[in-house]
Amino acid sequence: MFAYYFQLGLRSLRRNPILTALMVMAIGFGVAASMTTYSVFRATSNNPIPQKSSQLFAVQIDNWGPEDNDKGEPASSLNYTDSIALMKAHKAKRQTALYPVGLAAVPADANLLPFRTNGYAVYGDAFPMFDMPFLYGGGWSSAEDDGHAAVVVIARSINDKLFNGANSVGREINLDGHNYRVTGVLDSWDPKPLFFDPVNTSGFDDPVDLFIPFTRAIELKMSTNGNNNCNKNPGDGWDAWLHSECIWAQFWVEAPSKADVDTYRQFLQGYAAEQQRAGRFHWAPNVRTRDVMDWLDHQNVVPAESKISLLVAMGFLLICLVNTVGLLLAKFMRRAPEIGVRRALGASRREIYGQFLIEAGTVGLAGGLLGLLLTGLGVFGVSLVFDPKIARLATLDASLVALTMLVAVLATVLAAFYPTWRAAQVQPAWQLKSN
Amino acid sequence: MMQIKPILAALKRHKAGTILIALQIALTLAIVCNALFIIQQRVDRLSRPTGMIETDLMAIQNRWVGIDDEATAPLVKADIQILRSLPGVEDAVSTNSFPLRGGGWSMGVRLNPTAKKPITQTTLYFVDDHALPTMGAKLIAGRNFRADEVVTIDPKVFESSPVVIITKALADKVFPDGSALGKQIYITEGAPSSTVIGIVERLQVPWNGNFANKFEGNSTLLPIQLSGNFSAYLIRSKPGQLASVLKAAPAALFKANRMRVIPSERGVRTYADVREQAYKSDRGMAILMGIICVVLLAITAAGIVGLTSFWVGQRRKQIGVRRALGATKHDILSYFLTENLLIGIGGVVVGAMLAVGMNLWLMQQFEMARLSPVYVIAGVIVLLLLGQGAVLAPAMRAARVSPVEATRSV
Amino acid sequence: MLKMTHLSKVYRTEVVETYALRDFNIDVKEGEFVAVTGPSGSGKTTFLTIAGLLETFTGGEYHLDGVEVSHLNDNARSKIRNEKIGFIFQAFNLIPDLNVFDNVEVPLRYRGMKSAERKKRIMESLERVGLASRAKHYPAELSGGQQQRVAIARALAGSPRLLLADEPTGNLDTQMARSVLELLEEIHREGATIVMVTHDPELAARAQRNVHVIDGQVVDLAEDPRFHAHVAQVAEATHGR
Repeated sequence: MFAYYFQLGLRSLRRNPILTALMVMAIGFGVAASMTTYSVFRATSNNPIPQKSSQLFAVQIDNWGPEDNDKGEPASSLNYTDSIALMKAHKAKRQTALYPVGLAAVPADANLLPFRTNGYAVYGDAFPMFDMPFLYGGGWSSAEDDGHAAVVVIARSINDKLFNGANSVGREINLDGHNYRVTGVLDSWDPKPLFFDPVNTSGFDDPVDLFIPFTRAIELKMSTNGNNNCNKNPGDGWDAWLHSECIWAQFWVEAPSKADVDTYRQFLQGYAAEQQRAGRFHWAPNVRTRDVMDWLDHQNVVPAESKISLLVAMGFLLICLVNTVGLLLAKFMRRAPEIGVRRALGASRREIYGQFLIEAGTVGLAGGLLGLLLTGLGVFGVSLVFDPKIARLATLDASLVALTMLVAVLATVLAAFYPTWRAAQVQPAWQLKSN
Repeated sequence: MMQIKPILAALKRHKAGTILIALQIALTLAIVCNALFIIQQRVDRLSRPTGMIETDLMAIQNRWVGIDDEATAPLVKADIQILRSLPGVEDAVSTNSFPLRGGGWSMGVRLNPTAKKPITQTTLYFVDDHALPTMGAKLIAGRNFRADEVVTIDPKVFESSPVVIITKALADKVFPDGSALGKQIYITEGAPSSTVIGIVERLQVPWNGNFANKFEGNSTLLPIQLSGNFSAYLIRSKPGQLASVLKAAPAALFKANRMRVIPSERGVRTYADVREQAYKSDRGMAILMGIICVVLLAITAAGIVGLTSFWVGQRRKQIGVRRALGATKHDILSYFLTENLLIGIGGVVVGAMLAVGMNLWLMQQFEMARLSPVYVIAGVIVLLLLGQGAVLAPAMRAARVSPVEATRSV
Repeated sequence: MLKMTHLSKVYRTEVVETYALRDFNIDVKEGEFVAVTGPSGSGKTTFLTIAGLLETFTGGEYHLDGVEVSHLNDNARSKIRNEKIGFIFQAFNLIPDLNVFDNVEVPLRYRGMKSAERKKRIMESLERVGLASRAKHYPAELSGGQQQRVAIARALAGSPRLLLADEPTGNLDTQMARSVLELLEEIHREGATIVMVTHDPELAARAQRNVHVIDGQVVDLAEDPRFHAHVAQVAEATHGR
């Protein structure tokens, strides 16, 4: 029966080519618009570390107080004092303070120009915490953290550039005029969005090139390559700034279980209370821990453009569906006499339902194919609307192709329910009269 | 026009079709209004002037390698000398940032040094006496900096400058009576004051995001060269010589000192590129919304044509009867136009409410501005006209139905 | 009232020309009740559509109420249909989307009549056909006979000088047919001119005068052999049932 209905559907579609074309175009455009924008939304709202996203927490401590914080919400970064205190307390399974550093790598070959790198100053815990894969070697030890060691972990791309891809563990590189010993080379690792620092990046910037110890960076008085926010004048010089309430560091902890998170939050609460008692905070403890996805959401990593265009595209699809309901209604009711005769010849309501829903599915299939074509064009064209860094994340992969077809067919069949119900209400008759 | 009541009566018998068309019009109106509004906002934003003369202007972003932050000042000075003496270069200046660069320094402006809250925000441009001629910013009161006023300062110890030049927007905000010239302002809480020695007509801040909308014209120029490993150079070429300077400038800089990084992306740009990159997503959004509007209107029109054609087809007989009973062609035409107008009015009433609701929601979620009623009115007119246009062809077909149809039994 | 002389109607396609009416002559006086009879395909319905200005004709002359109509444009023809002619169709042709009241109102609307006047006339003509109580009903809720009486009310509401009826009882059973016919006779007695097309000799007999159409021409009853053949046919068909 399915094949018969499918055949009937195709024939009926050929009978009113204009009406059919209108429907196919409406569905095609609607599906393409929503799928294109969805491809961007999917990329930007991606979970970059699904295996651990609920075990990693960004820490916030309100060191500015109710007058300067954002409607009660603690700032998104910590100052040096709090970062170091939390590192020293060592209350989580693993923890790291981190901040971006913009170092220039100076190739040993004097004919080559220095080039700029995207680096982060971190603690050795960061490598196992963030599940970074190593091609050669590994991270550095806590002893090296404590010793402000001049060590570095470089990305594969940097290793390829400086060492032609050879195992460079133990060799040295020159960053901003200082030498660092390579302890490890990362395999390809480029989480999108860059979950551990959405504060200083859009989340979709170029991949991280290298990591150096936080303690070493501070010793060399490297200021942050990201945002530095002060609620009051920090005073003159490096030391005054370092020990001010200016905030510029991110702090992450790993807490494998619910109990661990609770314990850590209690610790933070206690720490803030202690600061209040010591007279540094003049307000009640105000701390937060947010896991990866919460944090990305809180930092609005999904660009407003992406949300608005997804929203508009959904509205667009809805209109296309309303349009389709109308056109299907017209198409089906035009065949009321035929339906009457079919009913008289013994077709049950159920069979009328089957016939017309399958016909609608055929329209949906055609619309889906058109939609696929247009989605391809759309994905190709998203760089028009979005930052190229984000646009390149939108791809027409197998799952998007499947989703496009599924949405097209499902949406059309859904749209066909009312027209089909109306068609099934036609009484059996030999009537071939109008009116 | 006399037939509104019977048309309504007839529509009541075709609820589904009527509701579908009205709903489609309503949703289309809601989206088109908001999309037009977004387009207008984005176009507004990207047509804002920077206050600079943007032709024959370029920017270089430079970072020193392996040099202590404190030791960069003479290097920058040397760079600027090289740039100014290049053939084809009119003038050049070293600055921490420039309009539309994206990153910069902002501070609160106070009249009372101990006031808890500043009056407004301003961006700080650390420049020298060549800034105004290089940028092409127009001084409308007071004077430019003198070369002897320019000093080099470590950003970590910066607090204020004895003299500043501010934009008219900032001057008007802080001194609404227009008396800014010669007055004292405070740009750092608790630090010494700065005297306003000049006012420029306009100079945009480095940011073009929503957060900077409130102070997008509030800029302060200071006769200070910041030490540190980053600096940006703005270069004005002699008319028409930008292309050659674009190549010559970075080459000359590398020749002088190779311990620097000028990123391949965004390191050397004409100002036209700076503007284009800064507003890329605004322009893209406007284009996207434009496309969506056009396609949406087309689909809605096609839907109306489709459904009305079907109605005309279904009612051929009664059209014939009406004609037999004395309806003129014009009566039939106006019947269908009026019918569509009634459905359209129903649709736009709901649509206008949806449009406002959608805008309120967007305002809440994305800091969007309030939808001006002009857009709703424009959208209503566009959709009603679209409906009338779409229904015209099927209605004319209906008017051509011969009265003799009334006598046909099928 | 209605006078056709040498009237012809030709349907042309690319291959053939078909004469629906040929040298058709008829003269209906004011106040007459004329039945036009003939076998199906004889051209009697074509005659009616031309008489009712629903269609144009190819040659000859047609005077309606003293006016030669062949030169009138579409609007003028609509106006005449609206003001001078009332139609009663075999299939009733009520507008299904409108209730009884609104259906009767249709021609009055096109006449641009004031609302109060319209209402008065509608109720009068509905009372006349005995359906005033059904004003709010929709056609689908009425029996065939009731529907035809609404159609007659609609035709009467505009006080037309000429009433054209096309097989007015064709879709009705005998009893309903009789009541509709009585209504027509009553209208005629009040002074209306009625031209009724039918192939039912019994119905035709109730008219003052019969005009017979065969092969697109009016024929003399007594002399034309084709008529006798037709009568025989009808008789056979009637008895055969």
